[in-house]
Amino acid sequence: MNCLSKYWAIAVTSAKSNLAYAGEIGSRLCFLGIILFIFMQLWKAIFANANVAQFQGYTLEEIIWYLAITECIMLSSPRVTPLIDEDVRTGAITVQLVRPMSYPLYRLASNLGEQAVRFAVTVASAGSIALLLVGPPSNFGLGLACVLLALPLALVLDFLGYLLVGLFAFWCEDTSGLALIYSRLTMVAGGMLMPLDLFPEAFQSLLKGLPFGYIVSGPARQFVHPDPTGLGALLGFQILWIVVLALVVAFVYSKALKRIALNGG
Amino acid sequence: MVINMNNAVEVENLRKVYEMHKRNGFFRRTKAEVVSVDNVNFSVPEGQALAFVGPNGAGKSTTIRMLTGILTPSAGYARVLGYVPWKERSHMAYHIGAVFGQRSQLWYHLPASDTFDLLAKIYNLDKVEYRKRRDELVDRFRLGPLLDVPVRKLSLGQRMRAEVAASLLHKPRLLLLDEPTIGLDIHAKQQLRELVSEWNRKEGLTVFLTSHDTGDIENVAERVIIINHGRLVLDDSVENLRRQYEGLSLEEALSHIYGLEVESEETEDVPELQAVG
Ligand SMILES: Nc1ncnc2c1ncn2[C@@H]1O[C@H](COP(=O)(O)OP(=O)(O)O)[C@@H](O)[C@H]1O
Ligand SMILES: [Mg+2]
Repeated sequence: MNCLSKYWAIAVTSAKSNLAYAGEIGSRLCFLGIILFIFMQLWKAIFANANVAQFQGYTLEEIIWYLAITECIMLSSPRVTPLIDEDVRTGAITVQLVRPMSYPLYRLASNLGEQAVRFAVTVASAGSIALLLVGPPSNFGLGLACVLLALPLALVLDFLGYLLVGLFAFWCEDTSGLALIYSRLTMVAGGMLMPLDLFPEAFQSLLKGLPFGYIVSGPARQFVHPDPTGLGALLGFQILWIVVLALVVAFVYSKALKRIALNGG
Repeated sequence: MVINMNNAVEVENLRKVYEMHKRNGFFRRTKAEVVSVDNVNFSVPEGQALAFVGPNGAGKSTTIRMLTGILTPSAGYARVLGYVPWKERSHMAYHIGAVFGQRSQLWYHLPASDTFDLLAKIYNLDKVEYRKRRDELVDRFRLGPLLDVPVRKLSLGQRMRAEVAASLLHKPRLLLLDEPTIGLDIHAKQQLRELVSEWNRKEGLTVFLTSHDTGDIENVAERVIIINHGRLVLDDSVENLRRQYEGLSLEEALSHIYGLEVESEETEDVPELQAVG
């Protein structure tokens, strides 16, 4: 319990520290509004062109709400990679390593605290924008319950991906290129622009074998098309991927620690 | 090997060789070794204040990083408060404090009090004990009015006072400071030295301080170890050092000692960088 309260305290401190960035959050809202507006026009045109009311069971309203949620996930995605980069490059990691705590868990806790703040702000704004554009989603109550259940593990999974990329800072000078590739992969393969069910069949099965869909598309889909069995499967895959990535992270981190031990930070 | 339980730090034949890969042209890569700490021996009795002195690149930070368990030595042995640092880092962490002059442990956008509260959790401190300790530190380090100001708004001198106070919250028995006074103005330097010294004398805190500032030696330490090119060149009490170089300032004495090192090195001709492949 002592151990858990340690990391809980780190998360709370991090959330507090991030409440200080009011200006940055403001600019994010503008960006979000513009993106949502553009995509809505795009989808409107697609629906009008095809002259249909639904695509694979998705109405225009549902697509917009889906986009609002995926935007929130993407825009609040962890910025842990540059932090690790900096910790390693400047040697600031020393300060964390002399404390009785695990560095990856410290980063996880600190990131979840930060993300809670960022997510709350983006959700409030994306929600109001979507509400203005298309009105409330059809199955709001159940959708909200499902997405709230699906989000925490999605965020942890997303964090583990960025953490893994960040740990490469121990071997290469600059991880920002890798981080960019990873974030674009999350966007495209995660289904930020449209639900995975709208992708061509062959592609769909490939994407379902990757972790990205369980970070972005999975939770957003639960909001517009809540479905308890689907939610169960989603949580299962999230846990599976978290276990896999955590094992990989643990392995890479132990190698990284040895590298510091031998060559310095 | 005799282990003296009254020693906070024991170091025997400690050695650290960094391996570096250098690119020579497009295809060739050569491995070069830098001997950073070269068979160093010393011990620090509990309660002593020791200055670990040397010019830039002498191996001071490398030594501290081995003593805090972040680096594994290439050879040799060390025991810090009974722990082998690089094997028992997280257990040892509860009993040592560390301050690194150029890096901050305080959350930049938050007041120092928030970092203090967080450290209390990280070190599993008892609530009541923690509050008592914090109030005492705030009082002695005169942090009262600074405690609720975001750290980014503090001056470097104020911040360093908060850094040292933060590193003492969990009542460490050994405080390691790596160039804590670097970049401070004279006044702030003096304040910090007095505080560290006071804590050493009143609380029996063992102090291991690296510096290349003679003021740190004079005001904090009772003993001085000089390291140059990774090797110990002097280990004596500050008093003896003063007596031996009577009439000279400590600054001049140090240059003299470094100078002797350079002369003897010319005759020995030990290259610092050895290419091995
Ligand atoms: N990570 C590293 N890789 C290679 N060489 C290093 C590394 N860190 C330090 N060195 C070298 O080891 C020597 C001692 O460095 P350091 O312990 O930082 O000295 P000081 O703290 O006394 O200035 C220097 O020659 C430095 O260049
Ligand atoms: Mg140094």
